[in-house]
Amino acid sequence: MLTLRRFATIVALLLTSLVGAQADVTNERILLTFIPNVQFAPFYLGIQHDVFSEAGFDVALEHLQEPEVLDLVAVRQANYGIVSGEQVILARSRGRDVVYVFEWFQQYPVALVHASDLDLSDLGALRGLRVGIPGRFGASYSGLTTLLTSAGLNETDIELNEIGFNAPEVFCLGAVDAAMVYANNEPLQIRNLAAAGECGDLDDVGLIMVASQVDLVSNGLIVNRGLLEESPAQIARMVGALRDALQITIDNPAAAYLASLPYVDTLPADDALVVALTDAAAQQQEFLADNPTRSEVAASRRALAEELSEQFDGAALAQFHVLLNSIDLWDADALGFSDLASWEAMRDTLALMNLLGEELGDLDAAFSNEFLAVSDE
Amino acid sequence: MRLSVENIEVSFPGPAGDLLPALGPISFEVADDQFVCLLGPSGCGKSTLIRVLAGLLSPSAGAAYCDRELIQRPLAEAAIMFQDTNLMPWRTVLDNIALPLEVAGMSRPERYGAVRKLLPQLNLENFELAYPAELSGGMAQRVSLGRVIVQQPQVWLLDEPFAALDALTREALSLELLRLRARSRQTIILVTHDINEAVLLADRVIVMSRRPGALVADIPIDLPRPRSAEMIYKREFLQLAKRIRNCIEDQRA
Amino acid sequence: MQTNGKVAEFSTGRKRQIILRRLSPFLTVLLLLLLWQGVTERQIISRILVPPPADVYAAFTAALADGTLAKHTMTTLGEMMYGLLLGVGIGLVLGYAIAKAPLLEYVLSPIIVAFQSTPIVAYAPLLIIWFGTGPSSKIVTTAVIVFFPALVNAIVGIRSVSPPLRDLMRSLNAGPWLTFRLLELPSALPVILAGLKTSATLAVIGAVVGEFVGSGSGLGVLVIMARSQYNTPLVVVTVLTMTVIALSLYGLVALVEWRFLVWQRRAAS
Repeated sequence: MLTLRRFATIVALLLTSLVGAQADVTNERILLTFIPNVQFAPFYLGIQHDVFSEAGFDVALEHLQEPEVLDLVAVRQANYGIVSGEQVILARSRGRDVVYVFEWFQQYPVALVHASDLDLSDLGALRGLRVGIPGRFGASYSGLTTLLTSAGLNETDIELNEIGFNAPEVFCLGAVDAAMVYANNEPLQIRNLAAAGECGDLDDVGLIMVASQVDLVSNGLIVNRGLLEESPAQIARMVGALRDALQITIDNPAAAYLASLPYVDTLPADDALVVALTDAAAQQQEFLADNPTRSEVAASRRALAEELSEQFDGAALAQFHVLLNSIDLWDADALGFSDLASWEAMRDTLALMNLLGEELGDLDAAFSNEFLAVSDE
Repeated sequence: MRLSVENIEVSFPGPAGDLLPALGPISFEVADDQFVCLLGPSGCGKSTLIRVLAGLLSPSAGAAYCDRELIQRPLAEAAIMFQDTNLMPWRTVLDNIALPLEVAGMSRPERYGAVRKLLPQLNLENFELAYPAELSGGMAQRVSLGRVIVQQPQVWLLDEPFAALDALTREALSLELLRLRARSRQTIILVTHDINEAVLLADRVIVMSRRPGALVADIPIDLPRPRSAEMIYKREFLQLAKRIRNCIEDQRA
Repeated sequence: MQTNGKVAEFSTGRKRQIILRRLSPFLTVLLLLLLWQGVTERQIISRILVPPPADVYAAFTAALADGTLAKHTMTTLGEMMYGLLLGVGIGLVLGYAIAKAPLLEYVLSPIIVAFQSTPIVAYAPLLIIWFGTGPSSKIVTTAVIVFFPALVNAIVGIRSVSPPLRDLMRSLNAGPWLTFRLLELPSALPVILAGLKTSATLAVIGAVVGEFVGSGSGLGVLVIMARSQYNTPLVVVTVLTMTVIALSLYGLVALVEWRFLVWQRRAAS
């Protein structure tokens, strides 16, 4: 009996110490899409540079398909997830009450890629062309619909090919004239294939950003409505941490790339590149101490890219370029804000595509910028 | 037709790569229309000899002839009846008996007509649509026999056709075989290890030695025909049976 | 009289047992439906994750009415049929060749085993870029997946042809074609049909895997589209449609079996 009581005491002590520890740091899962990739650098950096932990979070990252991310947040099996804005509208129209609280991609990342000798300055020239798309779903499809609509065309005016996520290969085989892609990734892959002589007689590619036609709400952080009502302060802390991590990534891509290495197994990381990036990250830290303007920082990124390209070949830098291209889609004067117009534009596109469910609620309820204001203080 | 076996030897490759003799050397002749029984202990190569005569197996040495024609492949004039009934389980009685005619390219009405004429003699009239699995052992063996008769062969090669049957059925079938054969006489070689069966059926009994089987005795059976079941109690019959038994027993000693 | 009564009693008891056995699969399905209804009605699991039967039924009638379900089902069925013809065809011919020429087995088995043991989902994207984004790549994924059971069963079936029956055919001087038609094919048929049952159910998997990677229509695409529109009831409808197709195809082969293998049934009884 005595030993049992002693055992119980020890267990109780252990438990209290655990609870005490948890009071400081909350365990949170953030559900991401796709697979581990340098495009998620802000999250890797947020963990590696203690941005999340200083805000009181022990963050674990998981990768799922977009609808699964959204449903798990909707039933509150996870508190935070990253999805594109259209998913929020679609899911809310079918009874999922999630709220979008931070716009990560300031520019809709989807674009139409085509051979540069194909003149598409007038989008009407798309008529009759073969256009590749992963499938009739997701951001690529919404993006294409938007482009077609702004050109006064519809789907039947083009030859739409569902090619899965194989745009570089299918494009280079000449099976399509143009393809919907993520602007920060596939165009680079196509250029690399072309440079290796594996893309027919292609010289260069042209890109038409969907964002150049219409401002659509893009990828961002969603939370469950219940969490938002119970602990808005926690959300504000998370939003603030994400914004800080994103800002550091934008300001110091070399540091962000290095922070991504433990998470992305396939990231090119030979010793010379790591040394060069470590130096660059330190120099950038000094440069940032002088409070440079946004355009000065952007110029410093381009300068770094050029400097590195003198030392390393395209393959070694491919993923670093993906990161730099992504940063161009993230950078803004004020990070995180989304505006009603971009939500409306997205909703109209989805309505046009006949994708919305029955429960067309108020768009104001779909997103909130208020946590950005709170964490501003 | 006349059959002649000239110094035939058969060996099979053994487990150690060497050649194991299975039959012979053996020589004999079978006259036109003769009914010969091959008798010998099991494993002596009787079945092997039948396979050589059927053209299914080439001898390692020697040769077999049918009316002076060297047997190298199955002859159209000969038909073989196998140890077990060897029927196709997916074919009805009718189709099993008709198989040789189908292979020969005969049309369906023709071959069914031919088989239906045969069924009453085989006591199978009411079973033409039955499957082999639904037949008794004796009936299945009659189907197998029917498949030989339908070919109207001049040479019948019968490899222990009734071995799997009980004694009474076996005797009845043996006599039926004689009756069926009586209509037009053919050359028949029947393999058996039953002395009474051999004496009852044959014009001549050839006794073979143990493996590798060679000719031990060649005994003519001059009992009158037609033969009947009662004959086996006659003195002449018993004497012949005794003589054959002695030949076999000399072998054992 | 007494014995008669007993016999009657026995036979009604037996009849009842047979009826119960026949009904039991339907009872299981009914029980599952009730459980499903109960779980969703009482909100034990959120209806976001598991939609209630009524919603699924509504999604079913809607998809039926606007032709969505029929269109995608026809696409998948078409891919499956061509895939089955191609995969089972090649499987049977190659299986026959291997059964006849064991050397071929040594030459081909590393390739065949490698193809079979590598998960098709992993290399399906390659098939899409090699065979195009149209139906042909789905036909290929289906063919690849249904090929193996056909091949193996053809080999086993042809190799298990009884040697004495082969002797019989030889003694009748039957040529290769007659031997095939009259002996090998009917003899191997039960084994080949058993393989075909497996192939038939795998065909759905092959077609849907192909469609998942990239396609314009088909049930695999309908699942992705319904999922991306958060229309979970439609996802369930589509998945159940796949189940029904697989079961029907299995049933079709069973029917062929029933028709052609009368002798097996008769032998069993």
